[in-house]
Amino acid sequence: MSQTPQLLFKNRRPGETVFMDGYRATGGYQALEKAFRQMTPQELRELVKAAALRGRGGAGFPTGVKWTFFPSDAPGPKYLVCNCDEMEPGTYKDGELLMADPHQLVEGMIVSAFALQTDIGYIFIRYAYEKQAEHLRRAVVEATEAGYIGKNILGSGFDFELHVHGSAGRYILGEETALLNGLEGKRPNPRLKPPFPATRGLFGRPTTVNNVETIANIPHIINGGAEWFLDLALTPDGSGTKLFGLSGHLNCTECFELPVGIPLREVVENYGKGVLHNHTFKACLPGGASTPYLTAEHMDVALDFDSLAAVGSRFGTAGVTVFDDRTCMVAVTLNLIRFFARESCGWCTPCRDGLTMVRWLLEMIDSGKGTPEHLEMLKDQLKNISGKSFCALAEGAMGPVAGLLTHFEQEIVDHIEKGCCPFRK
Amino acid sequence: MPTLTIDNQKITVPEGKTVLEAAEELGIQVPHFCYHKELGAVGACRMCAVTVQEGSSKGLKMSCLIPAEDGMVVTTDDEQSTTFRDRVGEWLMLNHPHDCPVCDEGGECQLQEMTIASGHGVRRYAGQKRTYNNQDLGPFVAQEMNRCIQCYRCVRTYQDYCGGRDFGVMGSRNRVFFGRFQDGTLESDFSGNIVDVCPTGVLTDKTYRFKSRYWDLQEAPSVCPHCSLGCATIPGGRFHELQRVRSGENQLVNGFFICDRGRFGSGYVNHPERPRQARNNEQLIGMDEALRQLDVEARGLIEQHGPEAVLLLGSERTSLEANWLLQQWAKKLGCREPVLAAHGPRHQAAQVVAFDLSDRLASLEQVRGSDLVLVAGADPLAEAPMLAVALRQVVRSGGQVIVYDPRPVELPCEFDHQALSPLALLDFLTAGGSDGQHVRELLQHAESPILVGGADLLGVEGLQRLKKMSLELSNDQRPCLIYPLLSNPNSFGAALLSLPEQDDLLTRLETGRVKMLVCLESDPLLEAPESDRFSVALTKLDKLVVLDYLPTPLSVHANLFIPTRTPVESDGTFINNEGRLRSYAGVLEPGLPISVAEDGGHPPREFSTVSPGSDPLSASRILQILLKDDSSLVELHQQMVADFPRLAGLTGLTPSDAGVRVADAAARNVVNIDLPEQPVGTLQLIVSPARYGSDLLSRYSDKLEPRFSSAWVMMNSQDAAERGLQEGDKVILDTETGSFCLPMICHPQLAAGCALVENSAALASLVPGAGISYCEVSREVSHE
Repeated sequence: MSQTPQLLFKNRRPGETVFMDGYRATGGYQALEKAFRQMTPQELRELVKAAALRGRGGAGFPTGVKWTFFPSDAPGPKYLVCNCDEMEPGTYKDGELLMADPHQLVEGMIVSAFALQTDIGYIFIRYAYEKQAEHLRRAVVEATEAGYIGKNILGSGFDFELHVHGSAGRYILGEETALLNGLEGKRPNPRLKPPFPATRGLFGRPTTVNNVETIANIPHIINGGAEWFLDLALTPDGSGTKLFGLSGHLNCTECFELPVGIPLREVVENYGKGVLHNHTFKACLPGGASTPYLTAEHMDVALDFDSLAAVGSRFGTAGVTVFDDRTCMVAVTLNLIRFFARESCGWCTPCRDGLTMVRWLLEMIDSGKGTPEHLEMLKDQLKNISGKSFCALAEGAMGPVAGLLTHFEQEIVDHIEKGCCPFRK
Repeated sequence: MPTLTIDNQKITVPEGKTVLEAAEELGIQVPHFCYHKELGAVGACRMCAVTVQEGSSKGLKMSCLIPAEDGMVVTTDDEQSTTFRDRVGEWLMLNHPHDCPVCDEGGECQLQEMTIASGHGVRRYAGQKRTYNNQDLGPFVAQEMNRCIQCYRCVRTYQDYCGGRDFGVMGSRNRVFFGRFQDGTLESDFSGNIVDVCPTGVLTDKTYRFKSRYWDLQEAPSVCPHCSLGCATIPGGRFHELQRVRSGENQLVNGFFICDRGRFGSGYVNHPERPRQARNNEQLIGMDEALRQLDVEARGLIEQHGPEAVLLLGSERTSLEANWLLQQWAKKLGCREPVLAAHGPRHQAAQVVAFDLSDRLASLEQVRGSDLVLVAGADPLAEAPMLAVALRQVVRSGGQVIVYDPRPVELPCEFDHQALSPLALLDFLTAGGSDGQHVRELLQHAESPILVGGADLLGVEGLQRLKKMSLELSNDQRPCLIYPLLSNPNSFGAALLSLPEQDDLLTRLETGRVKMLVCLESDPLLEAPESDRFSVALTKLDKLVVLDYLPTPLSVHANLFIPTRTPVESDGTFINNEGRLRSYAGVLEPGLPISVAEDGGHPPREFSTVSPGSDPLSASRILQILLKDDSSLVELHQQMVADFPRLAGLTGLTPSDAGVRVADAAARNVVNIDLPEQPVGTLQLIVSPARYGSDLLSRYSDKLEPRFSSAWVMMNSQDAAERGLQEGDKVILDTETGSFCLPMICHPQLAAGCALVENSAALASLVPGAGISYCEVSREVSHE
C-alpha cells in the first residue's frame, strides 16, 4: 500500500500475525545471529548511537546516548525493560506493531540485552493489550525453543531471560520510573531522579527502559547499518522510519510506517486521504494527546523531532489526530484535560490539583460561564504548571492547553463573549 | 563545604545539605509540607520552590531536593518563586473545608502557617470540592480526610518508617485517600506518630479531641517513663489534667517518633483513684503532719531498735535525685543503706549494665546506623518499642537483624529468628555450635555490629556472656557495642547508685529486725517476684509507709501514706538503658482535674485558695523536707556529682538537652551464677512483659485498655501435642510462684520445651526477669 520503505510493518498483513516461521522467512533473527556471532556489545552500542535512533515513546531521547549511561560491565543483575504501557489518546502504534509482528520486539530485546549486557528483560504491557500479550508470550516461547533466549545464547556465553508482564494499567505507568514501581508491585508513583534507572532502577539495580518501537528498530539497524538508517529519514538530522497512528477527522484512520520528516500535508492528504466529509483542516495533535496543536499554517512542517520543536510542538509518538473546522478547540482541550486530570497519580500538587483547576476553568469557559478573569487564570496556570511538576505528565497535559492559548485564544474569547459555545447549534 | 548565597545572605553548610536546610539555618523559612526532617525530601508538594539564579541548574527548583553548591545564588522572594508558591497554596486549598474553628489542629496547624506564608489568600476556584467518608481508625487516631493536602507524610511515617502495614494510600489523582482498607483499629504500635507528622487536622489524637487549644496547653520537654529507653516526649496539660503526650526530638535516642504506649499511656496521671491526700491508716492528714510523723517515728524506731529497724526502699521508676536523697536520709537517720529496687534479680542485672558494660554501650542512634544487629533474649515491641523501629531502619538501609529469642518475636521489618530456650540461648552466647560460629562470623565481618540484650531474659549470667562476646568481636578498627534493655525508666540510675552485693529486699525483711518499711514509689507486690514471701514479711512490720502517686495494692496496706507527684508534675532525671542522663521538666501542678460538673451540678459553694488535690509533693521535695535541705536542683546536682563522680554530666543538664552519658565504671569481678538444674519433664518458664499493661504506669492508663491482653499460657505446638493438649484447652500451669488455670494457645515459633506467659493486670503475680525457672503444664481436671 505504501511506497516508502517498510521495516517494522514489513510483515504486516490485515488480520494476520506473523510468528517464527513467517518472521524468519523475511530475514527474522538474522540481526541476532549477526550481533552474537560478529559483533561485540560495545560495537552494537556504538552502532545504535551512530544510527541516531531517537526514543519512540514520546520524549525522543537518543537511544544510543541513553545506552552510554548504562553501566553494562557492572556486576550483578541488570535489567532491560520494554515500556509497552501505550495508553495516550491518539497513540496506538505499539499495539499495531505487536498485532502484526511480535518477534521483532523479542529479537530487539535479545540483541539490546546483549548490547547492554543485561541478563533479565521485562516487557511491561498495557492491561488492555491482552491479544498482543498473548502473541508476545508465544513469540518468547518460540524464541526460547530456537535457542535465542536462555543460557549461553548461540554459544556466546551470554544468558538472557525474558518475561512478559501484564500491567494493571494506568497512564502514569508509561512514565519509566512509575513503571518500575509498578513492576516491583508497588504503587506506581514516579520516582525521584536522580538516581536515574541506569544507576538504580528495577529492584535497585541498573535498568534501561525503552519503548516497543525503539527496540523493534534495533534489529533493522543491525541488518542495514547506521548510514542506511539515517538515509531513511527525509530530514538531514532525522533517522529511520516512524509508525504514524492517524485518527480524528480523516477519511483514513490507520497506522502507517512512514519516513521520519514527512511533511504533515502528505500525511493528511496522501495517507489520511484528506479531511473527513471534505471539511477543512483546522488543527491536529501531531504526536499524541500531550503535544501542542498544529494548525493549517503548519501543513508543510516536516514531522520530525527538531522541526516540530521549532514550531512549538513535539513529535511525541506520532499519533496524529486531526480536527476539522467544525470542531470546538475548547471542547477538545477540555476532553483531553479530563483524561490527564483523571490519570494523574496524585503525587505532586501541580498535577493532582493544578490539572483539576485547569479542568474547572475549561469547564467554565466551555459551558459559557467563563469570564475574562478565567482566561487570565488559564494563562497563569499554564505558566505555573508546565515544567514545575514532579514528572512529565502535567507538562504533557498542558501541551494542548498551550496550543489552545497560542493558536485559538480567539475561540476562548468567543465563548466568553457569547456566553456559550460558538460551535454549538 | 559549599558556600552559597540565599536572599543576599552568605552561608557555608556541610556537603550534602539541601538549599532548604541551608535557608533554615539562615532563619529563612521556605514554606514546605512533604519535607520532614526525619522522613526526608520527596518533592511531592512543590511548596518549597525557590529560584536558582546562579548554579549548575538554574530556574525554579524545589529547595528540598537540590543540594547546596559552592557559589550558588538562590532567591526565595523573587516574583517567580512567590507566585508559584502562591499557586501551590491555592491548589492545596481547592478542597479544604476551611473548618479551622472546629478543627483540633487549629493553632498548631502547619497548613494554616504555610498557606499564609505561601501568600495565597483569596479562593478563586468555585468548583465542587471533593469530599470523603471518614474511617474509624480505632481509639487513638481520629480521621477527617476532607482536610487532607496529600503530603504523604502519614504513609511515609506509618508504612515506610515504622513498618505498619494496615494504613496506606489508596486511589489516585485528586481522590487519593490515606487510610485503611476498611474501618478498624490501626494495628501498628506506633500509630500515634501519624498525628504528629500530619501537617493539618486530618489525623488527630482521638483521646485529646476537643479538649484544648494548643495555645492553652502547658507543655515542657519530658522523658517517657514507660520503658528504659528514655525517649523524648512533650506532655501537654491543662486544668490539672494531662491531656496528651506528643513526641519530642532527640536524635541520639528516639529521633522524632515515640510508641503508642508512651503516647497514650499517660492516664495514670489523671487516674480517678489516684491518692491525692496523706493518711494515717484511715484518717486523712495534712502533708506537714504526715512528714512530721514519718520523721519522728523513723528516728524513734532506730533509737529503740538500732539501724536495722528502718528499711528504706527506693525505686527504678523514681528519679535519680529522689533515690540519692533517700540514701542521704538513711545516712542522717543512721539506718542501713536503702535498697533501691524491689526486684532483686532485675536490679542485679541492671548493675551488670551500669558497671560492667558501661564502657561498651551503644546509643539508639548507633543501632539505627548499624549494619548488623544481633538481638539476644529481647522482644523489642514489648520491652522497648522504639528499638523495633530502630531495627527497621537497619533493614531499610540494607543491614540485617538476627533475633535469638525463645518467644515468637515480631518486628516491623524482615529479620531472621531462631527460637532458642533461655538455657540454649545462654549456650549460644558462649559457643553455640555451628550456628553460633556462623553468627559470630557475620558479626566479625560487619562494619558496625551491635548486640542487643534483654536483661530480663538474659539475667546477670547472660549479660556477662554478652559482654564476653562483645569483647571477642571488637577489633582495632571498630568496637562491637552492646545495647541492653532494662525494665524501668531509671533502672540504670538505681543500679548506679546502689552498693554492689548488698542484700536484697526480702533477705533484709526476713531477718525480722525491720520494724518500719518505707516504700518510695515502689510496690513489691506488683513489681517484684515472690509477692507471697513479701506479703508474709509485711505482717512482721510495725509500720508500713508508702509514698506513691499510683493507687497501688500496697498503698492500701500502708499505715502511713504520703502522696507524691508523677514525673510530669516534677523536675528530675532518669538514666536510660544506655547510661544517658535524661532530664525532664514538670508540666503541671498536681490537683484534681477540673471538669464540667455532671448531672447539672451547681458551681462550688465553698471557696478556697488552694485547689483540691494539690497536696502531693515530688519525692525529692519530700526527702529534702525530711533532710531540712533547701538546695536548688542545681545545688543538689553539684552534691550528687561530688558524691558520685560518674554523674558529672548532671552539671548544666537541662530537659531540652539530648542528654550525656554517665562516665564509665571499672568492671567488677565476674561472678559465676549457678543455673538451677531442669527437673525431668518440666518446661522452661518464660515470663514476658506484655506490650501494653505490663509496666505499672500503662496498667493504670485507661486509654490503653483496649490494647491490654488477656491471660494465657503459650506452648510450642509440638510440646502441646505431646501432652495431648489443644489450642484453647484450659490448663494448669504449675510454677514456683503458684498454680494458674489458664487457656492454652499454641505457636509454632515458640522455642521447644518452653511455656510462655505475659505479665499483665490479668496475670500480675508472674513478674518478668526473675531468672531461670521451670514449670509444668497439664490439663485441667474438672471436679464434678
